[in-house]
Amino acid sequence: MSPRGRALGVLAVGTAAAAVVAALLIGGSPGARSSTEGPAPERADTAVPLHAARPRAPAGPRGGSSLPTVASINLCTDQLVLHVADPSQIVTLSWLAADPEESTLAEDAARYPLNYGSAEEILRFDPDVVIAGSYTNSFTRALLRDLGLTVVDIEPASSLDDIETHVRQVARAIGRIERGEELVREMRARIARHRQRLDSSPVATVVVRPGGFTVEAPSLAHELMTLAGLRNLPAERGLDRWGSLSVETLLHHPPELLVFATYRGGDASLANAVLAHPAIERIAARAVTAAVPASMWSCGLPNSLDAVARLERAADEARRARAHASHRSASARTLR
Amino acid sequence: MSGTTSDTAGLGGAARRFDVAPYVLLVPLLLVAFVLSLWIGRTSTGPMLGFGDPGVAGPVLVEIRMPRTLLALLVGGTLGLAGAALQGLLRNPLAEPGLLGASSGAALGAVLVFYFGLAAADSVVLPLGGVAGSVAALGLLYGLAGRRADLVTVVLAGIAINALAAALTSLALNFAPSPYAALEILFWMLGSLADRSVVHVLLALPLMLPGWLLIGAAARGLDALTLGEDAAASLGFPPARTQWLVIGGTALSVGAAVAVTGVVGFVGLVVPHMLRPWVGHHPRRLLVPCFVAGATLTLLADVAIRMMPPGPELKLGVVTALIGAPFFLQLILRHGREGNL
Repeated sequence: MSPRGRALGVLAVGTAAAAVVAALLIGGSPGARSSTEGPAPERADTAVPLHAARPRAPAGPRGGSSLPTVASINLCTDQLVLHVADPSQIVTLSWLAADPEESTLAEDAARYPLNYGSAEEILRFDPDVVIAGSYTNSFTRALLRDLGLTVVDIEPASSLDDIETHVRQVARAIGRIERGEELVREMRARIARHRQRLDSSPVATVVVRPGGFTVEAPSLAHELMTLAGLRNLPAERGLDRWGSLSVETLLHHPPELLVFATYRGGDASLANAVLAHPAIERIAARAVTAAVPASMWSCGLPNSLDAVARLERAADEARRARAHASHRSASARTLR
Repeated sequence: MSGTTSDTAGLGGAARRFDVAPYVLLVPLLLVAFVLSLWIGRTSTGPMLGFGDPGVAGPVLVEIRMPRTLLALLVGGTLGLAGAALQGLLRNPLAEPGLLGASSGAALGAVLVFYFGLAAADSVVLPLGGVAGSVAALGLLYGLAGRRADLVTVVLAGIAINALAAALTSLALNFAPSPYAALEILFWMLGSLADRSVVHVLLALPLMLPGWLLIGAAARGLDALTLGEDAAASLGFPPARTQWLVIGGTALSVGAAVAVTGVVGFVGLVVPHMLRPWVGHHPRRLLVPCFVAGATLTLLADVAIRMMPPGPELKLGVVTALIGAPFFLQLILRHGREGNL
């Protein structure tokens, strides 16, 4: 612990700090760059001619179509691509897309060759455009860019607006702008219908997701709940990000409706994990329960609104139970 | 002048002679592993021998498999070398590159980059964060243990830094901007060579090289240390100098390795044990064979990953531990019977 040693230590920590700052700065510029890269229209527009120039064998299934071919390496972008692309464009989707527990479009996805998201695999599919999630496969995405492929990064969706943005990003990148606009129009119409249907008495709800997580706010799942006329109880308690569900929250705020995000037959075990507490069992026994597959909550997609329809039905049931209960207590009062 | 000569001779007459024996087997093995790593790829249908479609053979070899193979060699070699040097320095068979906090510091640095979402922007920022973390860990170690501190203090400081880095890493996981980011962090900490490019080789090598040289410069000092600290000092190898050469070299080279591949465990611990019955117990004679064997082991582990049936790639750290742990156990049991480790 000599002063000199300490001074050297401080010096080294300082150097490291400087390196971190440098890393952040370097990170800043590509960050800014990437935001203009994939999604921006000017970039996406040039993508097609750029790669049309690349020598490539005329692929069988595409026939004479001039649309760019597309590969996706992320579960959420797989499903976006399935919505937006012409089937002849898709050369490969990630393996999770064909798993019915993970994907809402598993049957559709199973018709295409599947990939496990490595650069060598993707290169062999020779796609014009690669669509990827912005949090996953960062090394693969960088390597594919180095290899001259157009890679479009899509952020995880955290709102209904994000879904529109992402649909349009994918549509632009693969030359399906019309189809993208059509999907956005359909979504807006559906959202408007759900809004009209909104009841003045929202149903107090707790969603139980795999691993005992619940729905944070703001988030896409929270918006879907609101659109279905549900009050997201844990979020009202000031829970943010992806917090786990606490027994206390449930105790203090007994829900009228418990929604289980079911995953891999985990229906019972999930319920058991969270409901094992005797206090919770009593509360849960009084609430209406419903199940919505976890796959419907995990990605922001045009068909995310299917979850809203399911939640609306559950909300209606919970309101009937509420009316029934108040009727019963009213008649109990009259009897007295 | 004549005094020094007799001193070094006193460290064992063999120290001067270049010992060819271990390389007769190790180098051909390394070459085989290297060629296998270039030859075996992986597609959606499982392992793929050769390069397939001539249209993409060039890019596949040059831009995908070659950088991956080179990195496996550099990272594995670094881990083997650093493991041998640290076990020699600490005269403890359980020492490994992760012990001094360089690995966990690098992991923390990289995780912080993930945390701020920068890894999404550029795959180079991540390794830079790793290097910064490793240098910070070393600086902290130096600050805590001081220049002339004894080995116990250094090791304890290393353990404390490890614990701190692990705690901060968990903290970052807890507050990760999204579950996706948290998952990426977890995966990254398991170690992988998947889809690294030549950029990562060029990023790691300039830090690894001086690291190797520092460890190499400590070689004689390490041999002298086997006679005890006082004897080493009287032979002209002050233990403090040897100590900081090894620690500095490890932090640089292992930090750079962890920065590009994540945490690859067990190679540094196991490789010196594999070679000792064979090469002898002189740290100096172990260093280069351990580099070669570490590189070979890592290359083979990475080839094994690509040989697996179709599915998402296994993580390298998982495979090295799966290969290393049973081997290590068997070694311990055998040594236990013979009564020494």
